[in-house]
Amino acid sequence: MDKEQIQQERRGFLKQFGATVGAAGFGAAGLASVAGSRPAHAAAAPKGNIPSRPIKVGHITFLTGAAELLGGPGQHGHILAQEEINAQGGLLGKRKIETIFADEAAGTDSNVKELRRMKLSEKIDLFTGVISSGNTPALGPVAEELKVLTLFNDGCTDFLFDKAVPNPKYTFRVTNIQSADGVTAAIGAATHWPKARRIASIQPDYSYGRNVFEHFVLALGKLLPGIQVVSESWPKLGTTDFTSHITKILSAKPDLLVVGVWGGDYVAFYKQALRYGLFDKMKVATTLAFGGYPHAIGKDHPEGVLAGVHANYHFLYPSAERWPINKSFVERYHKRWNEYPSFESDGAYTALYLYKQAVEKANQLVGGWPEDEAIIAMLEGAGFNSPAGYLYVRADNHQGYKDAVTGLSRNLPGYDFPVWDPASIVTIPIRSITAPPSWPKPGQGHNESTAAADWIKKTWPQAKA
Amino acid sequence: MEIVVIQVLNSLFYAAVLFLIAAGLSLIFGVMGIVNMAHGSFYALGAYVTAWSVAAAAGALPAALPPAALFILLPLGAIAVALIGLAIEPVLLRRFYQRPEEYQLLVTFGLLLVLEDAIRLVWGGTPRTASGLVDSLGLLQIGGMPYPVYNLAMIGVGIVAALGLWAFVYRTRFGVLLRATAQDRRMAAALGIDVGRIYSLAFGLGCFMAGLAGAIVVPSQAAILGMGVEVIVLSFVVVVIGGLGSLEGALVGALIVSALRTITIQFWEEIELAALYLIAAIVLLILPTGLFGKKA
Repeated sequence: MDKEQIQQERRGFLKQFGATVGAAGFGAAGLASVAGSRPAHAAAAPKGNIPSRPIKVGHITFLTGAAELLGGPGQHGHILAQEEINAQGGLLGKRKIETIFADEAAGTDSNVKELRRMKLSEKIDLFTGVISSGNTPALGPVAEELKVLTLFNDGCTDFLFDKAVPNPKYTFRVTNIQSADGVTAAIGAATHWPKARRIASIQPDYSYGRNVFEHFVLALGKLLPGIQVVSESWPKLGTTDFTSHITKILSAKPDLLVVGVWGGDYVAFYKQALRYGLFDKMKVATTLAFGGYPHAIGKDHPEGVLAGVHANYHFLYPSAERWPINKSFVERYHKRWNEYPSFESDGAYTALYLYKQAVEKANQLVGGWPEDEAIIAMLEGAGFNSPAGYLYVRADNHQGYKDAVTGLSRNLPGYDFPVWDPASIVTIPIRSITAPPSWPKPGQGHNESTAAADWIKKTWPQAKA
Repeated sequence: MEIVVIQVLNSLFYAAVLFLIAAGLSLIFGVMGIVNMAHGSFYALGAYVTAWSVAAAAGALPAALPPAALFILLPLGAIAVALIGLAIEPVLLRRFYQRPEEYQLLVTFGLLLVLEDAIRLVWGGTPRTASGLVDSLGLLQIGGMPYPVYNLAMIGVGIVAALGLWAFVYRTRFGVLLRATAQDRRMAAALGIDVGRIYSLAFGLGCFMAGLAGAIVVPSQAAILGMGVEVIVLSFVVVVIGGLGSLEGALVGALIVSALRTITIQFWEEIELAALYLIAAIVLLILPTGLFGKKA
């Protein structure tokens, strides 16, 4: 295939999805007209009597273990939002935010107990945080049972709102849905490497890795003709010795490797893969390489790797000229923590501000401190200008949606770690890669693992050789 | 063919690391009768100290010095961990020897949690690396596939450590005292052996081995939060198969576990952990004290 053909094919993908490549892509989303996108009434004075009692927030995230790489930035994002809101006098100018943190690494059962304890003995008003997809499906039903307003910032499995909490009332989630992650990596890979046919995969052996593998292969199979999965590796979460997996992948001679390994595991993986020459022998598409602290990845990380961020956010994008909100957020975050934010920082920060916006809107309507029902009504269908771009919370499934992004790694001057090559960033309108509101959930006329998988299978055109 | 050779080398490298950890675990149990749940955290500590000292030295040393000079720092990580172990034994563990085993499990598990948090407090959540050491030794070509010479060298370190430990336990006076104390603590004390000192040194030696394992792993992988917890599970599988308290058992167990892991990864990865636990269960059913364990 010559260069012109590749160009043509690339244009084909982009047209199909309304996706764009390069830093100019931002703003392509057709969502800005959706209800709820009116600007926040930040300036309006609170109505009625507001108690001065603090608002108690529970936040469970990874504070220890390899996943601290994601949890740490999330905690930092939450604290930044909390401090900013408290500096303005608190919510509605009266109620300061107090947060109780707990370590998600304690395990699912302990997290469930901790949520109960937070609600029953600490009397929290709001629950936030949670990184692992293994935990949100356990915590979601408990949050509904306890009637505690919950804004998960991650734990993005489709299963949460497809199956575990199919009709959420109190539970919301801010970051993009998980199936979007594998699909975004597939569109990124197909855009940059349309010749790839032999696919190898290495995924952590739990729900996240399974979801990434399934949706990546499904989407890539629709985008590129005749792909073939030649090798699958399923290391356990927390693996640090990847040499046997790497040798196995090399032995299958793939053109493209899809990597869902994340956190500290990914750092150990890329260090070993580098010395085994893996990056010289194949293209590599990851879903979470740039998902932790940005500075966790060294300058020795190869350039030209599709460096995923859970399809959410990396701090140089949206660019300062097009989205000053991000520039200002990154500056404040860097001033507070002396590091750059990750997508979890944005998620946790946005979750708290989303709550603030809903409280303010509800107060304008009903006066006084609004009941949870009123806050929920304002969260459903809410739009929010987050650092990562325009976020829309769907009313039917309480899931936040924003344009999905990914890009190729590159060492740019000014940073001690690799960032995205601005020319390589792929932006995809989220509606192009997620099932629409009316689409049947698993068990309602189909038995795919997610609504998204069924929707992709039935509606995406198949690329021809 | 080259795939087979490289997989065998991968397996040996991992076995070397597992052996160093499991041997320390076994030694501590054999002499002191303590199952040290925090042993993996000493391994992590070795990795962090090494990564930190290599990074500090690389910045401070004159540029003329070859990067390979930093290899001198590998034993330093192990010695630092040994010193920490020597401090912890009399302060914390000594109070629990007379108590039932549950107390010892609880106190070493508590130590694990404290060490994990201490590591995060001191070094933060970002992985620490020392990849310069791997790069300084270059790559070997095995049938056109690169293999780091560093890994080969560390397999050598594992072999030397195994031989050294064997000679130390079976060919020195201290080894005799160690074995005597392991066999019968009261008799050893009655014969005038300073059992307290033997306990401290045995614990320090076990920590040294764990620290050394961390030190040799960190240049090829990275020092990551939680690495100690991951490895302690497999180390227990190793000592269950080999027999808790036996050095030969730790060696054979490490080789079996590592080989089995590589084989399942290559051919049928879904059963990786299941296969390891299955082997451990079979060994327990047939030989409850492990392949080389003392008969009860």
